[in-house]
Amino acid sequence: MQGLLSSRVGSQLAGSAVLVVVLVLGGLAYASSGAPARDILVTQMLINAIMVIGLQIYIGNTGVLSFGHMGFAAISGYAFALLASTVQRKARIVPDVPLGLDAVSLNPLVAAAAAVAITVVAGLVVGLGLARSGAKSGAVAATVITLALLFMVHEVGGAYADLTGGRNGISFSVGRGLDGRMWVYLALIATVVLARLFKSSRIGRMAQAAREDDLAARAMGINPARGQMVALILSVAVVSVAASLRVFQLGTVAPSTFFFDYTLLTLVMLIVGGRNSIAGSVLGVALMTVVNETTRHLADVEIDGGPMDVLDIVLRPGLTDIVLGGSMLGFMIFRARGLVEDWEVDHWLRRRFGRAEPVPDPLKAAPTPAPAQLSAAGVTVDFGGFRALERAELEASNLEVVGLIGPNGAGKTTLLNMVTGLVKATEGTATLTTRSGPGSGAHSATGGEPFEIARSGLARTFQNLRLFPALSVRENVSIAALVASQHRAGPDRPSVEQLLVHAGLWELRDRRARELDYGNARRLELVRAAALSPAFILLDEPTSGMSNVESVAMIDEVRALASAVGAGVVVIDHDLAFITGVCDRIYCLDQGRVISVGTPTEIQADPQVQAAYLGAAAPAATG
Amino acid sequence: MIDLLQSLIDGLGRGSIYALLALGIAVIFGVMHMVNFAHGELITVTAYIAFGVVVTTGWGWWAAAPLIFLGAVGTSVVIEFVAFRWVRGASDFTMLLTSFAVHFLVQAIFVMTMGASVRSFPRPEWADRIWSVGELNIQIVDVAVIGTTALTLAATVFLLQRTMFGISLRAAAEDFDAARLMGVKSNKVIRQAFILAGALAGIAAIFYLMRTGQARPTTGLSPLLKGILAAIIGGLGNMQGAVYGGLLLGVSEVLLRSWLPEDLVGITDGAVFALIALFFIFRPQGLLYVRSAERV
Amino acid sequence: MLEISGLTTRYGAISALRRVSLTVGANEVVGLIGPNGAGKTTLLNTVAGLLRPAEGEVRLEERAVTGDSPDRMLRAGLALVPERRRLFAQMTVVENLRIGGVTASAEERSERLDEVVELFPVLKEKWGTAAGYLSGGEAQQLAIARALMSSPRIVLMDEPSLGLAPVLVDFVFDLIGRLRAEGRTMLIVEQNATRLLEVADRAYVLRTGEIAVDGMASDLLQREDLFDTFVGSARDEDSKPSEPDTR
Repeated sequence: MQGLLSSRVGSQLAGSAVLVVVLVLGGLAYASSGAPARDILVTQMLINAIMVIGLQIYIGNTGVLSFGHMGFAAISGYAFALLASTVQRKARIVPDVPLGLDAVSLNPLVAAAAAVAITVVAGLVVGLGLARSGAKSGAVAATVITLALLFMVHEVGGAYADLTGGRNGISFSVGRGLDGRMWVYLALIATVVLARLFKSSRIGRMAQAAREDDLAARAMGINPARGQMVALILSVAVVSVAASLRVFQLGTVAPSTFFFDYTLLTLVMLIVGGRNSIAGSVLGVALMTVVNETTRHLADVEIDGGPMDVLDIVLRPGLTDIVLGGSMLGFMIFRARGLVEDWEVDHWLRRRFGRAEPVPDPLKAAPTPAPAQLSAAGVTVDFGGFRALERAELEASNLEVVGLIGPNGAGKTTLLNMVTGLVKATEGTATLTTRSGPGSGAHSATGGEPFEIARSGLARTFQNLRLFPALSVRENVSIAALVASQHRAGPDRPSVEQLLVHAGLWELRDRRARELDYGNARRLELVRAAALSPAFILLDEPTSGMSNVESVAMIDEVRALASAVGAGVVVIDHDLAFITGVCDRIYCLDQGRVISVGTPTEIQADPQVQAAYLGAAAPAATG
Repeated sequence: MIDLLQSLIDGLGRGSIYALLALGIAVIFGVMHMVNFAHGELITVTAYIAFGVVVTTGWGWWAAAPLIFLGAVGTSVVIEFVAFRWVRGASDFTMLLTSFAVHFLVQAIFVMTMGASVRSFPRPEWADRIWSVGELNIQIVDVAVIGTTALTLAATVFLLQRTMFGISLRAAAEDFDAARLMGVKSNKVIRQAFILAGALAGIAAIFYLMRTGQARPTTGLSPLLKGILAAIIGGLGNMQGAVYGGLLLGVSEVLLRSWLPEDLVGITDGAVFALIALFFIFRPQGLLYVRSAERV
Repeated sequence: MLEISGLTTRYGAISALRRVSLTVGANEVVGLIGPNGAGKTTLLNTVAGLLRPAEGEVRLEERAVTGDSPDRMLRAGLALVPERRRLFAQMTVVENLRIGGVTASAEERSERLDEVVELFPVLKEKWGTAAGYLSGGEAQQLAIARALMSSPRIVLMDEPSLGLAPVLVDFVFDLIGRLRAEGRTMLIVEQNATRLLEVADRAYVLRTGEIAVDGMASDLLQREDLFDTFVGSARDEDSKPSEPDTR
């Protein structure tokens, strides 16, 4: 038992089981104590749970607000109804149905499977569109595209009566199969397990990283579009199953079955509990079902007018919607991440019953890596009329630490951005040449998307710290290690745990990145870059905001980490104590040009450097 | 040729309303970086005001029009104060969902208090009159709406260009913190943005309601979506672009309606939506997007 | 005029400023120098009200104004010329100037417009040009002029020479010299330390969020170890930054 709960997948399966059992038992307890109407309500709740977890897979993992999922549900619902309905009924409701559907009557299971297939194809098309529009967390274009899908399906549903039965829809009865709640239970279990495993899967975690910080994710070698596509397809498949079940249960599908009202209901359920959590989704479903039932009940109660007339206005059918809209607004204002945020049952199970984790072995220095060379030549970058870089150059080998210094606005960060593909050069190129092993030829990479450049061996940090704030410290690092395991050669990479110990973050491994203090946050960004197992680590002002003592300590940390993963370092910094301590060579930039290159001592003595820092009329000789 | 001209006039009549709504959405996006999906609720609220005034009191349209206008401005200010003020500066996801929440909430309040059914009110009798110029048949209401929109836009341009109110608003839209450093008060400038957006929506509402003569809880949805689409076509936050986007949307809608086969007319909105979706897929930044460097 | 005592500002967990104290007297030009990341901009932004201090006090003309919003600071008589100027690029020169005087009445505004144009005649020529199309020198003049539109009693300037060609750097410092001759009170942050010390009365050196050195500008200019003091050197790790100048 303890073994099961210590393993990742084992505890997740156990946690999923707990969730399903609690929800189902809660429902059954309610249903057993009253009228048959309660039984229907419980079935609805379980189907809603499948639907909401379906939404969670996409919205939770990617942060893209989709209003189109009920559009997918409608596609699926109509497909299911048309395929599974009896020939006689179709002849009555949709006599002119095209595609020879009038003669088709499939087993409900087969019909549901076919509905899923059709909906997934629609999901693929929409997903390609979303990817093309550069969807990211909170992107408006993505929301509008999905909204367009919802309305398209709604209008087609209303207008194309030959296929859909128009406004009245297709009322429905199946001759055989799908009796009882057995299929609902099965679908629910499968959904919870799927969503939970996906959340911790490689692709799921990469999608979450992109959700947290699109730019940092791309700089870590993650292609956000891929995770979003996979999440969308899975999510659409689940939603489609739930839609078939809902249609089956309601006995009808009409344009209004899957439209704004149901979108609102499912979205509220998703965000109340916590959109990033499967446990949260289930909690939200249960909670909002209870709230909804209570208000509906209140609205039905006849209250004598008299002095209580106000109640008569309040307790009307619209009340449930007010509660839903109000919950949505309230949660957005006061607790946008939901009740449990991204907590899962297995987190608790593992802490409560799992074994303590052993502290890993200390990190050893990597063997001398195969040589790699980073060169930028003749780089000119114009922003509109402003020239940020003018024929700048940079040469670095992976056996050294190279510094970039220069006054504010000299173009240091622009050079780093250009090298990592975030900024396109007006002229000039940057090339990374790596030799993967003795005898094998040199491989050069020039240009490309930021995530491709990162995969080819350039990891970077950002001036203003771009961690994945809601993810844990360990998760921040392991996502980079994940990219490394897929795209970087080399068998003996240090483990995530070793890196965490090395950076002194072991004790903090389960904290969220946003809870770290500044020094630790900087350290985390550094190990995260190292975990990518890059040929070069590019650091943008790693000591900014640190005290003297901290930045001196940083010298050893940077060097030790670089040698542990066998990477060269290019570092921008303003703290000369740090930069002279850490660097083998330094480039000094001023006004977009390299004005001096040399060892720290040479640079410090160079009057041009002093002039650049102190102003044109610097005293001739100091330090 | 005549057909095209006819479509153009019809389209501009529709597009004017979209343009006014889109401009309001752009103004709010400018200062708050929030796409206001609750903007359509200004039309829902004023639809019930129109219903109340025209049907219940029998005062007629001349009394209804100014009340619609004031109602829109007031509602806009109240919504800002009750909801949006508290999520200022939150994540895009939160702001987006907050505006949806307001949208649903207002809708629900009307379902509860007024019921879900349609409340019709008489439209002004002159609105439907047709003015024939040669082969052209021009609806009077189209003339009125195009004329009023032109005047309103001129007034808005004057307001934005010549008054301190407008200059502060544009400054805040361009660089909120820099505007604060100049002495612009954040609460005030955002409230002003909502007043302006409400006023523009109020004028749009007058003509929209004259055309439809209906009030129901979902009245605002369709104009809202058109307004948002227009604002995004124009490049979010770009005020000029929003106006062009609205006019373009109106004209393309009418053209589409005249070209589509008879039995597909029912899904014009859907078709427009599909076109818009395609548009976003290939140009997510909008038509008149001003490129700004991504801050790293 | 301006007294800052024990000011600490944090970004989340980062302490960008640690217990900084400094004063600016009336009609005095005070320089604030130090390497990037030292907290200079944070200090100005905190004083101007864009950031909230975690601790400490800001007094302007004997009045406590700690944590006031930027518009209140401006009304109290303090204007900031922000880093990278932050002009409203899509608005015209005159609109930029008018927004600078947003707190004044219409008459005052037009009076000040005349005054400012007298000081910066080039702006008159560019009256209707969008600020985004100005050259670097013109843009810097506009930024300063815009701040003067509120008729401030003290002007804070953040890196006025940033991103300007050397000729224009001269020009900007001449400009600051002219403002100084008018008796303006200014607190100026600059990377170009030497040039700043030439026009300032007194100066503070900020390093890693703390005041490392302060003194008369002319004395600091003479100090042999200015470069080391300024950016820190690899050799003075253990010795604390030099004690404040007592002259």
